[in-house]
Amino acid sequence: MLQYVTINIDGALIRAVKGTSVLDTAIEYGVCIPHLCHVSYLSDFGGCRLCIVEHVVNGRANVTASCTLNVQEGMVIRSNTERIKKLRRNLAELLVAQAPNSRAIQDLALRCGVKEVRYPFRNRNCVLCGRCVRACTELWRARAIGFVGRGKNRRVDYPLGVHPDFCKQCGACVQLCPMTITPCEGPMKPGQERLCGKCESQLLSADQTPDTCGWCKLGEGFSCGRYA
Amino acid sequence: MPKLNTFRDLESLRERLREDRRKITARVILCGGTGCQASRSRLVIEAVKGELAKQGLDQSVQVRVTGCHGFCEQGPIAIIEPGNIFYCRLLPEDAQEMLSKTVRSGEVIERLLYTDPVSGRKIQTESDIPFYRGQDRQLLSRNRELDPRSIEDYIALGGYSALVKVLESMAPEEIIREIKASGLRGRGGGGFPTGRKWAECREAPSEEKYVICNADEGDPGAYMDRCVLEGNPHSILEGMMIGAWAIGARHGHIYVRNEYPLAVKHSRIAVQQARELGLLGENLLGSAFSFDVDITRGGGAFVCGESTALMASVEGKVGEPRPKDVHTVVDGLWHKPTTLNNVETWANVPSIILKGSAWFASKGSKGSKGTKILALTGRIKNTGLVEVAMGTPLRTVVFDIGGGAVNGRRIKAVQIGGPSGGCLPVEKFDLPVDFDVLAEAGSMVGSGGMVVMDEASCMVDVAKYFLTFLQDESCGKCVPCRLGIDRMLEIITDITEGRGTPEQIALLEELADTVSQTALCGLGKTAANPVLTTLRYFREEYDAHINRKKCPAGVCSALITYAIDADKCDACGVCIRACVHGAIQGQKKQVPQIDFQLCRKCGICRSECKSEAILVN
Repeated sequence: MLQYVTINIDGALIRAVKGTSVLDTAIEYGVCIPHLCHVSYLSDFGGCRLCIVEHVVNGRANVTASCTLNVQEGMVIRSNTERIKKLRRNLAELLVAQAPNSRAIQDLALRCGVKEVRYPFRNRNCVLCGRCVRACTELWRARAIGFVGRGKNRRVDYPLGVHPDFCKQCGACVQLCPMTITPCEGPMKPGQERLCGKCESQLLSADQTPDTCGWCKLGEGFSCGRYA
Repeated sequence: MPKLNTFRDLESLRERLREDRRKITARVILCGGTGCQASRSRLVIEAVKGELAKQGLDQSVQVRVTGCHGFCEQGPIAIIEPGNIFYCRLLPEDAQEMLSKTVRSGEVIERLLYTDPVSGRKIQTESDIPFYRGQDRQLLSRNRELDPRSIEDYIALGGYSALVKVLESMAPEEIIREIKASGLRGRGGGGFPTGRKWAECREAPSEEKYVICNADEGDPGAYMDRCVLEGNPHSILEGMMIGAWAIGARHGHIYVRNEYPLAVKHSRIAVQQARELGLLGENLLGSAFSFDVDITRGGGAFVCGESTALMASVEGKVGEPRPKDVHTVVDGLWHKPTTLNNVETWANVPSIILKGSAWFASKGSKGSKGTKILALTGRIKNTGLVEVAMGTPLRTVVFDIGGGAVNGRRIKAVQIGGPSGGCLPVEKFDLPVDFDVLAEAGSMVGSGGMVVMDEASCMVDVAKYFLTFLQDESCGKCVPCRLGIDRMLEIITDITEGRGTPEQIALLEELADTVSQTALCGLGKTAANPVLTTLRYFREEYDAHINRKKCPAGVCSALITYAIDADKCDACGVCIRACVHGAIQGQKKQVPQIDFQLCRKCGICRSECKSEAILVN
């Protein structure tokens, strides 16, 4: 039998299933916490840090990722304070500067309130969200791809760089990859990267009700949780 | 040696060993630590042994090869008993003279004594050397009293009596109360109260629990854990046994980095010896306590010093941290409650049990008790391992023990706590070595690395160095650490190469703050400290780089030019020959000229010039 706990997210008392994460509970309830590496049917590893929230313990607000934080009775969570919004904006800015060539990342940056990018663009093909790696490992137990290297040399690759015959060709990695969704006006050429901001109209409602899921375009094809 | 089956066996063995040792009066204590081995102490040790046999002294004089004494820059070190005569910078050729004069007749060889760089005096005994005099050596002083490869030495010195005491007369709760009362805090960097950690782990519900000793020390320039593990491995084993008994664990791991071959070897020998004597294993010494230790070698990742990454590594997975919303005392190694402590923390445990918590708490400051080993390096006269009571001001460590600056330069700052620590300016040198006070100042005690910097160090360059280190060592799992450090380094590189703009300082501050708040593990959370503290205390250097495009310390090569002072130059021509780029030209007996098109600002000419005629602008 399911056990329930009551937690407080942004002042709303929410009945949550014991053992689920704060992020899952929030999405279920319609509280929008932006996230990138979280996919509802995969394990969470807390890589993108976009889903950070303030977890209030003994009057002190700790910043922590909500996808790896399990619900507990009486927990107090603040998902949309000025502090969190600023941190989240800075993180999204880092991501979009790294990989502007994706509608998913561009939308996410917009959703997190990025108005300008203060770093030189890099136009990389991967943000190492690890969705593909976890899908391959957890959905099929194939382990045909994994993380290789450390730090700035970290990349997703086949074992020893060779496409293995135990790859089941399922395509789950491609389907979940945020980088396969190109910007609306086609891929950006090197040197022409920008913050596109085209989908602002879609997010207008989200701006007015900042912590509510507005069924925005972000979820389309991107398994944000409500769409998946 | 026969297996010990009761506490009584251990005590009688101890009596017998002490009796044997009382007969020996003359000893040559030679340092065999890694520092001294780098100065070829192995040759000295062999020469001394060979010479003893030749002079027929090998029966009456004992040679003891010990772990590190802390004063590694003076190695190889020897101490001769009786008389406690301290010789340093020995060569194999000195063995013959040392034995025939000092050992045979107690005559002191002036030439081999230590010369105090401050006063120029020759000093005969260890306790009179200023470097040692200012210290409070609780852990390090034991290194000279025992051979790390001999469990007999450790037992004769009273080793494993703390273990006997807890097994005989202390309940686990009582041990934890004692550790709590002593105020011992984690020596690895975090400074978490050890007693509280143990209590939480004891309360965690599980049949199986683990203790881990973290010897994956990776901070540049820091080697206190290596020194303790190499020099006195049994004290760590004993500490772990006491901890395991207190929390209810039956199994322990020592995670030691493979780059410390001697520490790996000595801890393996120690575990082997303890097993043979029955100090590890089932129902050890006839008590209800069973415990064994495995040694796991680290593969060279700095991030594996982080507790969750370390546990992943022990489990055989990739050494990456995981979120710690549930602490490792509840969900640690193999998802079982695990107590992980640093080498130094474990090494402190036996003496707390033996001498009592009040003794330990009598040392140190209000919030930080006991002593701390610091690895003192940089631009000072005496470098090495320094053990001081917590609460000792930084000034005492740098100026009294370290002997102050070399070459008459002014000391500018000290970097404490390794790459995660911060730089404190000389005005802050009255701050004590204290977990809370240093954290408030933006730095941290950390593992205890202390790098002293003088006027010739550029603080922007220092921040760049540590960011480069952390960028290499970040595991790359989370965005703030992987991309944040990368971007911070990008901005700082811009600043040091003259492309900096005033807006970048604000961006750097904001980014540093974001990284420290949102990163997944301790490495990322503290990665911004070098940037934040240099920005806080040395803002004028950043401004000079950005606004005036000058590097005040003359380090950042893009912002400096070399010139030749015609008044000082004696036209010797050394610089012309030294310049590998052919950028200095000149005729005989004329002041040479620098061709700025060719000059790569490597600084070789400056270091070669005898008359200090090469100027940096």
